[in-house]
Amino acid sequence: MSWETVIGLEVHVQLRTRTKMFCACRTSFGDPPNTNVCPVCLGLPGALPVPNAEAVRLGATAALALGCTIHHTSVFARKNYFYPDLPKGYQISQFDQPLATGGRLTFEAPDRGRVQAGITRLHLEEDAGKLVHDRFPGKTAVDLNRAGVPLAEIVSEPDLRSPAEARAYLTTLRQILIYAGASECSMEEGSLRVDANISIRRPGESRLGTKTEVKNLNSFANVERALDAERNRQMGLLEGGGRVAQVTLLFNAGTGQVKELRSKEESHDYRYFPDPDLPPLVLDEAWISDRRDALPELPEARRSRLEMALGIPAYDARVLTSEVPLADYFESVVAAGVEPKTAANWVMSDVMTTFNETGGFPVPAGRLAALVGLVRAGTVSHQAAKRVYAEMAQSPDGDPAAVAERLGLVQVSDEGALGTWVDEVLAANPAEVARYKAGEAKLMGFFVGQVMKKSKGKADPKGVQPVLAEKLK
Amino acid sequence: MSIGRNEVLHAARLAALAVGEGELDRLVDQMNRIVDYVAQLDQVPADRMADPFLPGPASAALREDVPDPVPLARPPAEFAPEFRDGFFLVPRHGAMEES
Amino acid sequence: MSAAATAAEETGARLAAAEPLNAALHWSQALLDAEAARVDAARSPGPLAAMPIAIKDNIVTVEQPTTCASRILEGYVSPYNATAVNRLRAAGAMIAAKTNMDEFAMGSSTEHSAFGRVKNPIDPERVPGGSSGGSAALVAAGVVPVALGSETGGSVRQPASFCGVVGMKPSYGRVSRYGLVAFGSSLDCISVFSRTVDDAGRVLSVMSGHDPLDATTLDRPPMAVPTALADLRGLRIGLPREYYPQDLHAGVAAALQRTRSVLEELGAEVCEVSLPHSPYAVPTYYIVAPAEAAANLARYDGVRYGPRRVGSEGDIHALYQATRGEGFGAEVRRRILVGTYVLSAGYYDAYYRKAQQVRALIAEDFRRVFGSGVDLMLTPTTPTPAFKAGEKTEDPVAMYLADIFVCAISLAGLPAVSLPVGRSEGLPVGAQLIAPSFEDERLLAAAAAIERAISADAEVRP
Repeated sequence: MSWETVIGLEVHVQLRTRTKMFCACRTSFGDPPNTNVCPVCLGLPGALPVPNAEAVRLGATAALALGCTIHHTSVFARKNYFYPDLPKGYQISQFDQPLATGGRLTFEAPDRGRVQAGITRLHLEEDAGKLVHDRFPGKTAVDLNRAGVPLAEIVSEPDLRSPAEARAYLTTLRQILIYAGASECSMEEGSLRVDANISIRRPGESRLGTKTEVKNLNSFANVERALDAERNRQMGLLEGGGRVAQVTLLFNAGTGQVKELRSKEESHDYRYFPDPDLPPLVLDEAWISDRRDALPELPEARRSRLEMALGIPAYDARVLTSEVPLADYFESVVAAGVEPKTAANWVMSDVMTTFNETGGFPVPAGRLAALVGLVRAGTVSHQAAKRVYAEMAQSPDGDPAAVAERLGLVQVSDEGALGTWVDEVLAANPAEVARYKAGEAKLMGFFVGQVMKKSKGKADPKGVQPVLAEKLK
Repeated sequence: MSIGRNEVLHAARLAALAVGEGELDRLVDQMNRIVDYVAQLDQVPADRMADPFLPGPASAALREDVPDPVPLARPPAEFAPEFRDGFFLVPRHGAMEES
Repeated sequence: MSAAATAAEETGARLAAAEPLNAALHWSQALLDAEAARVDAARSPGPLAAMPIAIKDNIVTVEQPTTCASRILEGYVSPYNATAVNRLRAAGAMIAAKTNMDEFAMGSSTEHSAFGRVKNPIDPERVPGGSSGGSAALVAAGVVPVALGSETGGSVRQPASFCGVVGMKPSYGRVSRYGLVAFGSSLDCISVFSRTVDDAGRVLSVMSGHDPLDATTLDRPPMAVPTALADLRGLRIGLPREYYPQDLHAGVAAALQRTRSVLEELGAEVCEVSLPHSPYAVPTYYIVAPAEAAANLARYDGVRYGPRRVGSEGDIHALYQATRGEGFGAEVRRRILVGTYVLSAGYYDAYYRKAQQVRALIAEDFRRVFGSGVDLMLTPTTPTPAFKAGEKTEDPVAMYLADIFVCAISLAGLPAVSLPVGRSEGLPVGAQLIAPSFEDERLLAAAAAIERAISADAEVRP
């Protein structure tokens, strides 16, 4: 039986502000519990919310980066429910008049190529606190440091057609939001959270099947695994003659299984109404225009620019722009005088390895450029340069030439020295010399290799070949 | 519109309010009285309807992103019903398990 | 002894003597003396120089508990002061006591307090009005010259009328609500009881002005202290016919008739006007206020403050249900349930949204009349003088109708003051003066002129 999978994603990102959405408490991560709190985010009697201008700016920036229309008037609404991490017994969010609607995100789907997924809406809201269940026996511990942190909720249209597509969408979404400067988008730190909705239907069917919601997803890989598991569960149900119930499931990363939530509340009636403590958010055209002008260069645009202006292949451009710091570093290396494709090769290999390990660039772009210059000049071979780079990454003050010298990796180009090694090699391999002279031209490679061996890698391969050719005449 | 026991119990559930069996009937009565009274608004013709009204400023004044929390004269430990190691404590939440 | 120390001693003695009224919930001589010491240590006495002020127990203070007359906040001491309290203290005022009220400001008689009802000083068998009954009673009994109350649907003007004192509700957005425990957020106003219009003006002037901690305050400077008008020449005062029903209590009608004569003697032009949507004010209010209250009171869950009760099952839901079920009184529970109901799925449009739309029509009525050349409006404050305790507690709707003349003003966010204008069979009668939004100064200036000309304690004969 074949089925079409329909997936929509709800992503919550913490906006990169210093203070909370409705009060001036700090948003810093990892502080001792309940130390970044005040009457407002504690939900004390008499406290009132005041919106954070930077959160609105970042929310609008994120919306513009996703091609959304920003509404001149949007309204904060109360979402009412009871939970220990919700101090006021309601969350201040946005309901029927959100900040932005009608955007799109274009990404590379593994099976379908370029896909444009719709973004239904982006709205602002405040985060809840954190619950810790296993620290005190029989108790749940509540930390309200996170309560009130600004969030943008980004809802996609149900345009994704496979768990792998969901993962690809998320990767691109994260990249765009990081480029836009809106959020750190770290699932490990909780600044990006994902809830997924999935249903299946027979191919060609226009109506949507019953959807279920999958939560507790802590990595993009697990989003894919969870959706795979849930799709299989739904397929099993329907193929067995059963029906899919509209339930919420939690993903267990250890077992790779999804499990239905035993919830006491059959339905969630949030009783939304406009928050009377907050006048409408009114943003005029000039303000929106300023946000648009201030938008940083986004991934798609940067990729194009690198391809067009620098002439590097599309694949390289995609890899180099996968992270902003990597792209910045690459452009610095090119600016320092390195030929773009060469720079790309270096950054995609050695540099990226250290970046992935350390999160940084221990070798400044200028010094890498100098090292590449040494290779171009024949002072070191490419292989040797990689060892020089590795050494420089340990001691950032190292000048490439000095380090190469110190490691004894400076190539020998002097014709006299080369000549001596060549003579020794030719003398040691008379049979091969005869065969070469008889016409086996490809033995040149063998001779070059032997010279490199004899010189312990120090011979400049580009210089060796002409000397050999001369002596083999 | 008539409110029955079920409507009252449903509202009580949404509002996390225990309603004793003894007071339920009286509550149903009183709520019906109140809701019947406020339903007078049905008499206002639909074509006369305006946009919802809130007094106060026409648009929200936003606060700049500068840390400046209102200081507490006494810390949560002093007014919380149950507090340990910096955390508010509540009974373990039985129905939902989340990380 | 300094003026402050004297005031502290005298106020303490008066509070002690007034215990039978049950108007004050938290006060102590020690705290009074500490307030006096603070005022004496300040560099300058400030515009309110050592004035003792009682504060309704739904306005948070650091030194005294804030219970909102509810068991659910029994023993709660706020870790911060309301902005209004900070401004008063900075101006030299002394906090005298926290006063009794209807629980969470829900009521019109101060009979719904968890700590017992308040007695009207004029006649202890009668109610002082509500929900700010304790504050009204202390001013009426001469214990303090000024007391703060709060208004959501008339909770200062109505008790002011019942107790024979001045009750002033400023324009919504004039005084910060930061630190006023929320009941109906779009209606709540910190308001003032006083014996004179001038005192109300001075206190409001200190408290008012934009507060960066309250997004619903308008970005305007504080109100200036109003100067009493010499007369009312050049002013046009409208009498809305919907507020003068045929069957109005005879004593109230007579007092208003006499007030109208005084206005004319002072040179005002008096005319009849109409606010056609007036009959819808009380039903509109009793949808909007409970809905906002249901959400505002959700935070009382026993998790972070207040006493906690854990039900037999011992899980978090039991904690919520038991804490809230036992902590809230009957009127509060009723309003939370009504509020929850009118916001719930399927009912939002029919009730809450509709009520907010009718509210716009009510506000428009006022705008239209004020825009047609009328400067102020005069109405009775309450349909009757103070009623007897127990008379209206059985039927919630009967109690709601006590707010019939004060409610619409709250819905429209306008400023209004109740002035004592006479007595009917010994009981005070109040007249209400209403101004357009943010014309609080002019309202009080005119009220002061009337106050000077009228005999507030004189019996009126129907």
